[in-house]
Amino acid sequence: MSRSPSSWLITGVVAMALGLAAGDLARADDSDDNHAHHHAVPTQSAAQRTTAEYTIPDVDLVREDGKVVHARAEFDDGRPVLLGFIFTTCAAICPITSATFRQFQDKLGPNEPVHIASISIDPEQDTPSRLRQYARKFGAGANWQHYTGAVAASVAMQRAFEAYRGDKMDHAAVAFLRAAPGKPWVRIDGFAAADQLIAEYRAITAPSALASR
Amino acid sequence: MRSAALFTALLCAAGSGVGAAAERPAPDGENLYRHGQLPTGALLAGSRDFGANVTGETAACVNCHRRSGLGNVEGNIVIPPIIAKYLYRTRQANVLDLTLPHVPGFTPNGWAYTDETLAQVIRTGVRPNGQPLNALMPRYALDDESMAALIGYLKNLTTEPVPGVTDTTLHFATIVTPDADPVEKKAMLEILQRFFAMQRDVIAAESRPMRASREIMYRVTRRWQLHVWELTGAPETWQRQLEDHLATEPVFAVISGIGRREWSPVHRFCEHNSIPCLLPNVDLPVVADNDFYPVYYSRGVLLEADLIATRLFDSTAVQPRRLVQVYRSNDIGVAAAEALATRAKAANIAVEQRAVPASPESRGASSSGAALKRAIAGVDRNDALVLWLRESDLAALRGDVPTRSVYISGLMGGLESAPLPVRWRAATLMTYPYDLPELRRVRMNFPLGWFKVQAIPVTAERVQTNTYLACVILSETLGHMLDSFVRDFLLERMEMMLSRRLVNGYFPRLGLAPGQRFASKGGYVVRLPATAGDKLLAQGAWSTP
Ligand code: HEC
Repeated sequence: MSRSPSSWLITGVVAMALGLAAGDLARADDSDDNHAHHHAVPTQSAAQRTTAEYTIPDVDLVREDGKVVHARAEFDDGRPVLLGFIFTTCAAICPITSATFRQFQDKLGPNEPVHIASISIDPEQDTPSRLRQYARKFGAGANWQHYTGAVAASVAMQRAFEAYRGDKMDHAAVAFLRAAPGKPWVRIDGFAAADQLIAEYRAITAPSALASR
Repeated sequence: MRSAALFTALLCAAGSGVGAAAERPAPDGENLYRHGQLPTGALLAGSRDFGANVTGETAACVNCHRRSGLGNVEGNIVIPPIIAKYLYRTRQANVLDLTLPHVPGFTPNGWAYTDETLAQVIRTGVRPNGQPLNALMPRYALDDESMAALIGYLKNLTTEPVPGVTDTTLHFATIVTPDADPVEKKAMLEILQRFFAMQRDVIAAESRPMRASREIMYRVTRRWQLHVWELTGAPETWQRQLEDHLATEPVFAVISGIGRREWSPVHRFCEHNSIPCLLPNVDLPVVADNDFYPVYYSRGVLLEADLIATRLFDSTAVQPRRLVQVYRSNDIGVAAAEALATRAKAANIAVEQRAVPASPESRGASSSGAALKRAIAGVDRNDALVLWLRESDLAALRGDVPTRSVYISGLMGGLESAPLPVRWRAATLMTYPYDLPELRRVRMNFPLGWFKVQAIPVTAERVQTNTYLACVILSETLGHMLDSFVRDFLLERMEMMLSRRLVNGYFPRLGLAPGQRFASKGGYVVRLPATAGDKLLAQGAWSTP
């Protein structure tokens, strides 16, 4: 049921003006929508790979250790990056992303100079201390950081990665990999297996790939 | 005391299903479904082709199919209802069953599960028709005993008749505690009564034909009926009183409500009886991470305590030598002061708690001046002074401000109309857990416009607005439920839709999720303008401590 914020606003406003439930106006499309999505759903792990140029926005994020960091500086420190979006009270989809990130982390080992980043799409709820708890739960090591910040900063990050769907409840599974600053991002939509992420990671960080563009 | 009672309430709630004790689902099945624990005590384990295996809590069915078992739509993934009533008939047959909730995860099809095929799909991830399930759904290699417990649970889940729902009427209650402010109470009740009357008018004006379309089939428009449950006497007796009310007037949910000093008996009643209690006007809610049914706008004064703590202890600026807090011994400032003291101690800052004896019930406040003066005595400019005081006490403050670090609670002190003496105004900081007046002005046109149309005078704007907003949210959530009147599902839908609303009265935004029961998470710290009525002077941005 993805829905642009503006249509929600309009539905809400009209409904409020009429004193009706927004659902009254939105109802007709609900079930048809679902049906369509049902068929669009990828079955067994059909993750889709694309590449894209994304510009990290000029915003500050707050890391789980409470430190305010500039997003660009944080992700352009030279290390390869694996990046994803989560929220700590997300029960269905995010645990998969985080479990996969953990396997990625564990398979590469603690000495691999990689930066794993999980960015909250529910930043007001996800305070640094809640992020620390979440990071512990998923076994995040020294290379894996979680980020929150102002709502606008989180939205800017999601928009920059074309992952903004208007509301946290509409999010979808997607992961991003980049070999180095200036290189394109590999975007993997759907549930990627950790091995798939590792293969992707090896390919883009191979010396030959890094030398070319 | 409170936490012990709460703990008992939690234990009771954990064991109770939706309905009567006799029909209670097997605890084994419930443990598996909700907590990812097998009858043997071992952890439930789920696996997926692409890795991302899960165990225990994370593997529990409740994460995706939800507490009601009615499923969900998350992102672009449909999570179907899995209560037996759905699965054991062709879904085409379900379409014709008007007693069966229509839910977003619904897909019509021509076949039905049996115990064997259901066990098989849970173990293999392949439907009887050969269709593999979406990769999100783990496969569970359950032993026969666990499977039997699980399937038994699914057969009982969300089957009991829902109290407060009849063919023609949806019953709701609102709860008023005896200590509620009389003006605010009257204002709240008026909003509720007018909203309910309007809902009835809308229903009466509608003559919706029963078209043979799936969505419409389920829609039987019911009128809303409000029951006002006014509590009397001591808080220890409230839970009992509420249970008596519930027995004589069964309701589907509790909407809004108003309290002042004590709300925890109401909270316990809601959780214990599995009744959604939605968005009451209370400034000290109960924070209990595992409770499901009570939902609040915010953590109230506890949020204010965190806003103050962040400024006083987390910044790199000079920290106070000592934290002095003043509050009435019978008011909600007690809990707020306790929360802030804990933060201070963690930051190694000395704390002095100065309780002023209970205020006289008459809101006169002539003797307050002297008592407050004593409470503030000895505070100097190296101290931080936090006043958890109501308006009448703030008005009674005398003399000069002893330190530049004085905080008052906006919720207790009257927000922008806090009656601080002139000499205190400029020096005092106030927590303000709402959007700033000038930022919410346009948004406020909706409630204010409605009050005007309804000829309701604005006597307690905050309470009236929050009550109206609660009604609108309820109305929208019910709309999204397509008349699937299941209490757990009401909360699940609210979790899903609330953060999509963009016009929220006093609040910049609201949001819930599984496990989130406080819809607004932040606030401002402001200074009062020199002249009452001028713009508040925000000290920094909205922050979420
Ligand atoms: C991480 C999320 C998740 C968890 C946890 C989960 N499921 Fe599912 N389940 C799904 C999704 C998504 C589908 C729908 C798959 C599809 O439509 O292809 C589904 C489908 C099903 C179906 C098939 C329903 C039908 O209409 O054919 C059953 C039965 C089921 N789940 C039972 C369970 C049980 C029992 C548990 C706990 C032991 C469980 N699920 C845990 C996500 C989950």
